[in-house]
Amino acid sequence: MRYRLREFKAGIRPTLDELKFTLKKIRKSPLSIVGTVIVAFYITIAVFAPVLAPPTDPRNPYSIFHDGYGPTPRPPGSPVNDPFILSTGWTVHFLGTVEGQLDIYYGCIWGTRTAFRIGVIVVAIALTIGLLTGSLAGYYGGTIDEFLMRFTDIVLAFPGLILAMALVIALPRTWPIDLGFLGLAIMIFFVLVFLGRFLKLQGIWTFMLGLLGLATVVLSYVWALGTPPIYIIKLGLTNLDKVLIALALVGWPGYTRVIRGEILRVRNEDYVEAAKAVGCSDFRVITKHILPNAIYSVVIMASLDIGAIVLTAAALSFLGIGAPVGYADWGQMISFARNWIWAGIENPWQYWYTFTIPGVFIFTFVLGWNLLGDAFRDILDPTLRRR
Amino acid sequence: MQFIIRRTLLIIPTLLGVILLVFAVTQMFTPEQRATLYITSERQMRNVDEVIRQYHLRDPIFVQFAGWMTQLLQGNLGYSRTGGGPVLQVLLRKIPATFELVILSIPITILLGIYLGVKSAVNRDKAVDHVTRTVSIIGWSLPTFWLGIMLIAIFFSGLGWFPPERMGTATFNYIYLSGNWHHYTGLLTIDGLLNGQPWITLDALRHLVLPTATLVTVQIALIVRVMRSSMLEALGKGYITAARAKGLSKTEVINKHARRNALIPTLTLSGLLIAGLITGVVITETVFNIDGVGRWAAVAAGGGGNVPDIPAVLGFALMTGCVYVIANLAVDILYAYVDPRIRLG
Repeated sequence: MRYRLREFKAGIRPTLDELKFTLKKIRKSPLSIVGTVIVAFYITIAVFAPVLAPPTDPRNPYSIFHDGYGPTPRPPGSPVNDPFILSTGWTVHFLGTVEGQLDIYYGCIWGTRTAFRIGVIVVAIALTIGLLTGSLAGYYGGTIDEFLMRFTDIVLAFPGLILAMALVIALPRTWPIDLGFLGLAIMIFFVLVFLGRFLKLQGIWTFMLGLLGLATVVLSYVWALGTPPIYIIKLGLTNLDKVLIALALVGWPGYTRVIRGEILRVRNEDYVEAAKAVGCSDFRVITKHILPNAIYSVVIMASLDIGAIVLTAAALSFLGIGAPVGYADWGQMISFARNWIWAGIENPWQYWYTFTIPGVFIFTFVLGWNLLGDAFRDILDPTLRRR
Repeated sequence: MQFIIRRTLLIIPTLLGVILLVFAVTQMFTPEQRATLYITSERQMRNVDEVIRQYHLRDPIFVQFAGWMTQLLQGNLGYSRTGGGPVLQVLLRKIPATFELVILSIPITILLGIYLGVKSAVNRDKAVDHVTRTVSIIGWSLPTFWLGIMLIAIFFSGLGWFPPERMGTATFNYIYLSGNWHHYTGLLTIDGLLNGQPWITLDALRHLVLPTATLVTVQIALIVRVMRSSMLEALGKGYITAARAKGLSKTEVINKHARRNALIPTLTLSGLLIAGLITGVVITETVFNIDGVGRWAAVAAGGGGNVPDIPAVLGFALMTGCVYVIANLAVDILYAYVDPRIRLG
């Protein structure tokens, strides 16, 4: 046990050293400090959201509270009228209200949580798919590489927002998933893989055989679409779930390509050859020898994509196909404000707070991530790193 | 020439893939929703079951694909409820407004981006560099829709200089009510001149200022960043030192030797720029209330009531996919023209 621990410590030592070096570099760059401060600020807001803005309905904290349903926005500092909301401790609208009397302050604070949720979940899903497909394509090359790359070409042939838009409206509200069929497909896949092992097929061909079997099953199932389902669960999808799924589906090919490139870079290194020579399995070579050396920078870059993803999600909300009405979400709050840009000749800026405040939230959030990303791009670039 | 032919042939599988992907999206809908893709008249709308049977919408996927492809090749993309006509017709009717906006934004973004990138690289780590980089990263972080709203608030609501929408009342009256207007190209700026009404051109340009500014601000960072880094790389090369050593002036070295070589990577990026602009156009047209394909797609997807206008969104997605693939082809051919290593290699 003790030996194991020491081995583990020695193993992660280089990673830690690199991390320390990176942190040192960050401290020296003023823009990245600004970025770090902004991101830390938003993390704090997200964590302390229940303290900063106690929900009026604890079971449903993401829905912004209504103070009646009056159509005209009210300025910052207006008193709360609704007796129920007064009873929950809110006496004043700190930053005013948008149309429909949704509180701007509450929406912005809880909107931070929404933004993080969207960013983190989408990056996590897209990165996972990207890692799987990217390592397959990069390590095995050949047919599977060609197939995957052509597929990413096609997805990347669409501007992200447009494809996400189409997917959001295409995803059904309840998604029937046939568990029995899914189980059957997985079972057949493994049977075929073991069959491949038994027939002494080489690594990639086992996999291809499995894939072939899987394709046969799926196609025959689709062909006979009318056959009675085996065991169906209905997966309920909220509008936000749809946005998450759509963005992840649009986002993964980008990661696949980057990870594939990184793997191609390290694939022919001596230590990989050595690992293969001593008889490590493909799985072990990929997970223990290639990935740790290839994904360090990719993972960081991907996580810094959170800003861009939040921007796209906000755009979807703005267009009216994102979060449902009344959900704490920055993009939607701005779309509410659209009708109030022009208040009249005497006082055109009367409703400035409706469009300025949520906008500042999105803008600084994305700016923080981009500053951090920009600094990291310079720091992690191996050709510039040690200068 | 051989390169161009080879590269052109290569887009066929990609275009086919684009079509397949859009078809895959149609398969996520229920047969009733899918039927809207084939409906072209009010009469059919009232008898959806008939349409489903006629086009085999409950049949296996291959049969459906064949049917869908047949429709597609005949130019039938379905009937758009929000556009009030068959999708293809609506697309053709609305595209000039979008085209005008994009075609104006592309040269401004590229030229200004190159200029700023070079300026920034030549003055590395000086005030100009820091300001350019900061401004471009701010532009990159600005949500397009918010920037548009703020520009309207400042330059229209506040100062009254540049109005939103596509045309003013006088232009509208002249075009639609006077009866003297001929649609030559559909582009207001050019049609104004062709009709002998230069004030319409001026009015159209005045309306284009804010949307163009929005698109350029958001997209320019892409060009500036790459131009800066490739310029820095070019400036570090041996031939620059050689050129300086033989006594050429600094501006000559930068303009003739460094910039020319640094332009090549920036050119590849123009493909990405077009994708960004298409995305930007959807939002910009919505914010500025310009009646182009972008706003139509946005309305079709979410704004037009509870039920999305499926044929419109898919038709638009198909169009953008094809436009983007063809734009990339153009960029690649241009690239080969500029860089002989690619053409001959």
